[in-house]
Amino acid sequence: MKLEPEERWRLIDRVARETVQYGAEKTTIKSTLAELTVKPFTGIPFAIAILYGFWAFFNAFAGFFTDGFFVPLFDDLWLPWIQEAFPLEGSWFYYILVGDPAATNSFEAFGILTSGLFVAVGVVLPAIVAFYLVITVLEDSGYMPRLAVLVDTVLHKIGLHGFAVVPMILSLGCNVPGVASTRTLETKKQRFMMMILLSIFIPCGAQLGVMLSLIPEYFGYIMLYLLAGFFVFGWILNKVVPGSSPEIMTDVPPFRIPTISNVSRKLWVKVKGFFTNAIPFVLLGVGLVNILYLVGAIDWLSNILGPVFTGWFGIPKETVAPLIAGFLRKDLAVAQLSAIEMSGFQLITSVVIISIYFPCIATFSMIIKEGRNSGGVLKVLGGSLLTLVTVVFLWGGLLHLIGMILGVT
Amino acid sequence: MTILLMGHPNVGKSAVFNRLTGANITESNYPGTTVDFTEGHTFIAGKEYRIIDVPGTFSTEPKDEAERVALDILEEHEDAVVIVVIDSTKVERGLYLAFEVLERGYPAVIALNMWDDAERQNINIDVSRLEEILEVPVVPTVAISGKGIYRLVEKIPSATQVDIKDLKEKISEL
Repeated sequence: MKLEPEERWRLIDRVARETVQYGAEKTTIKSTLAELTVKPFTGIPFAIAILYGFWAFFNAFAGFFTDGFFVPLFDDLWLPWIQEAFPLEGSWFYYILVGDPAATNSFEAFGILTSGLFVAVGVVLPAIVAFYLVITVLEDSGYMPRLAVLVDTVLHKIGLHGFAVVPMILSLGCNVPGVASTRTLETKKQRFMMMILLSIFIPCGAQLGVMLSLIPEYFGYIMLYLLAGFFVFGWILNKVVPGSSPEIMTDVPPFRIPTISNVSRKLWVKVKGFFTNAIPFVLLGVGLVNILYLVGAIDWLSNILGPVFTGWFGIPKETVAPLIAGFLRKDLAVAQLSAIEMSGFQLITSVVIISIYFPCIATFSMIIKEGRNSGGVLKVLGGSLLTLVTVVFLWGGLLHLIGMILGVT
Repeated sequence: MTILLMGHPNVGKSAVFNRLTGANITESNYPGTTVDFTEGHTFIAGKEYRIIDVPGTFSTEPKDEAERVALDILEEHEDAVVIVVIDSTKVERGLYLAFEVLERGYPAVIALNMWDDAERQNINIDVSRLEEILEVPVVPTVAISGKGIYRLVEKIPSATQVDIKDLKEKISEL
């Protein structure tokens, strides 16, 4: 037997009156802080401070392990040793596994055992650990929904609402769970918009790690340009995509102190996932690109796509190779750029293009999977590809134009 | 035998799930952490149970994709026992979902989770009276520390269907 909602509430009221007593609530530091973080006037400075603090931690942690430990380990010990000790120098076998016998740093050698291992373990692993440590603390403390409340107004301008910040932040770790978490958004329109926007404009933790290690001086510009793209195309999509963007109500949970057991458990799950899912892809990516070089496919593609690359985007045609690697892993793609001769502005443009040209394969499969519940696979896929092509040419081309105006190309 | 963990978003279903099964699914302090279902197994009194962590839902009328998943799971498992996980600081709301589950004819156990929060906020809940009225086992729990989980498990076999008509009459006479 089913009750009407009014009837249900009436009964619950009676039950509660009979069994629950509310005493006076004490004001504590936690509850005062909780109050201050959602009021715009105090909350926004608070948010900036928190995010900056976490950012500084991420930077320091990843930098400490990568620059302080892994770079010397790989560049001074591992690379010279394996270049020397590996047999058959000059063969295709050597080329795939070790790469350039004359390379002096582990980004540029580009063999599976040199750059592959270095990028995966030396650069991305510390970044992933640092990032998930930060994200876990954000998640467990109860700060995420507060951030959602604060950014609600801004995100409403592009047809989303505050809670869309959760997929955004999760995507900064990895786009795959980011796409999955769009399920909490209410309408098909919002889910579609969010999936496409984050898979294009939000670089993942692995890519951030490599960017930070390789081009820290350009990091800010790249992120700013991507974030601007997020809002510009969000605004456009909001106008173009049919559907509604309802208001939401959300619970803001109390602050809790993250427990060490839960933080370490979550971290362990992520790191384990990184070893089993990500590292094989990085190594495979290096191998695949090397094979494509050996059979001449990359040169062939570079020559065909060269005019678009140099003419429209203003980047060297050799960037084709990193873009191919980018299908598998974006971190690898960015790492590969270091071996290509180009100017600072071209490097910025190339990283932006790598971020936006196509989601990595894992994210792409997730979009297909989620597309089923967000308006049908064909519709989502078609819409995504259309948006993607438009974004790449407009947003990538615009950067080239900016470079020309500034006279830095 | 299947056990479904249901409740509002961010009441600690995943924490209960991890304690019950020894699994490692993500627990966070924000609504909407779990968007897909996870299942695990556990033995209770020598009998194997399949446990499903259902995404958080406010009611059985879904308003987003994660809630849709929740309803589908409930409807797919007609013979399941439901553990309704309730935030002890928001009992009324939690009972709404508990009523919906009972009205659909599922045997249920209620976990009054975050019991420590309720204590801190001076909220007094008369557990035995609540059990008496609803005729459903009610157990205070603190899932992140594991408190009350053992008693929750013990109560699962005693969950039975509730006659809503009787319940309604009984409550109206209070």
